[in-house]
Amino acid sequence: MVDVLLEILFLELLLAFSLTLALVLAYFTIVQRDLVKAAVLSAGQSIAYAFTYYLLAAPDILFAYIPIAVGIYTVLLLYAISKTERYEEL
Amino acid sequence: MKVKPVASVSVLIILAAAVLAIALGATGYTPSLELRPLAEFYLKHCLNPFKKEYWAASPEAVTSMLWDYRGLDTVYETTVFFLAIIGSVAVFRFAEAALTSYKEAEKGKPKAEEGLSLIVRVITRIVFVLIVALSAAIALHGHLTPGGGFQAGSIFAVAPLLAIAAFSRRFLEELGLTKNKCLAIRTTGLLAIALIALIPLAFVLMGFAGSFIIQNQPKPWALHPVFPGFPVNLGPIWLAGTLILFNIAEYLTVASGFTLLFILLALPEEFFRRLMGK
Amino acid sequence: MMEIIDYALWLYMYSVLVAIAAVAIYGVVARPNILKKIIALTILGDTANTFIIFIGYRLGSTTPPIITTLTPTPEQISAFVAASVDPVPQCLVITAIVINMAVTALLIFLAIQAYRLYRTLHVKNLARLRG
Repeated sequence: MVDVLLEILFLELLLAFSLTLALVLAYFTIVQRDLVKAAVLSAGQSIAYAFTYYLLAAPDILFAYIPIAVGIYTVLLLYAISKTERYEEL
Repeated sequence: MKVKPVASVSVLIILAAAVLAIALGATGYTPSLELRPLAEFYLKHCLNPFKKEYWAASPEAVTSMLWDYRGLDTVYETTVFFLAIIGSVAVFRFAEAALTSYKEAEKGKPKAEEGLSLIVRVITRIVFVLIVALSAAIALHGHLTPGGGFQAGSIFAVAPLLAIAAFSRRFLEELGLTKNKCLAIRTTGLLAIALIALIPLAFVLMGFAGSFIIQNQPKPWALHPVFPGFPVNLGPIWLAGTLILFNIAEYLTVASGFTLLFILLALPEEFFRRLMGK
Repeated sequence: MMEIIDYALWLYMYSVLVAIAAVAIYGVVARPNILKKIIALTILGDTANTFIIFIGYRLGSTTPPIITTLTPTPEQISAFVAASVDPVPQCLVITAIVINMAVTALLIFLAIQAYRLYRTLHVKNLARLRG
């Protein structure tokens, strides 16, 4: 009985860790003024979310979320940055 | 940025109230040990050979809900995606004229000079084939394992992306993926979805009275004579009625839609600027 | 003792999700570049999807909503229903992911076209143009 509770506790600790990582990366994405670094940091935050979806037993969403958030959003943003400006002015 | 104290204090109070409300059960004391009755209905009946009036013939509850139980939601979502691609192609409608001047400039360049280095090109050739094969496998097995049309189309979209970066835009055109061909494949996929959704309507016109649109398996509470439903298995191969057909059509639609976006974006900016006269 | 730690961890996770939403809303409102606003909008949409999946989770379960055999017996079906997570929020989230992605793709194309016409992506300069 105790080891089942310990397993559940371990799962929740992993969930808390991945969400904290997502919060740190999201904060650095928003305050970063170089847009290329912001795009890469937002891809990192999406990887933290993908780990969260795996821990919550949602494999369909995982297969849809990883190529869209890490592949398509990052590349669309990089194309847009190369056709416009790289540094954001405040 | 100068932070106003009233704004930040009110934002903090709103956030604390939101967190407290969620934790004290505003969404139903999550997480709990029991599921809601609707979830238990879908889980119990998605592959239940003893209750064939409710089943969707697929061991995967999420795909059966996407294309059978809540099929109209997915059809409208496909419409939203279709409108977004049309809007993007319309905003970039000078692509045809820019493309001809780009092709004139590209005629002089030899092929070995463009793109990235040799190691990257060799590895990209291998990975391209692997990605296409994997996406086809995920689309065809969407009714048995996690996966489906959207997932496979998004995974497929990574392959032309890598090809444009490692080789050049000409590589895709030599493979046959031009803008008009991608539009044609996308229209084929959307037509397939519309036809499969409306086949029961053809049965109504032929004299079977008991059909619904986006119907997968026969429903005995319909008016007689009843629509016979799509085939569930072909010998040992488990087709889950309409689910495999919808997955293949959605795969073609999403994959060609994304390839179209990348083909339009990969034109260098100076050709557009010359066209617009700036 | 274990239940207090459990409860504290879930409270912490909900507050982290709300904090990410707050950071994303700050990014949409306070940063003047359009591409930064689009990045913050994608973070906000993904946070809402994660929250929906949190609601559909069964405590302590690691079973996705997929039956593992093609010919289940009634005992296997009831064991599956008693252990699996909720599939309804997952279906709605897949729809939401695709719609958010369609909107973001169109927004990025419009931002590129706006830069071609007006040579600026700063919101204050765009507002001063008045067509």
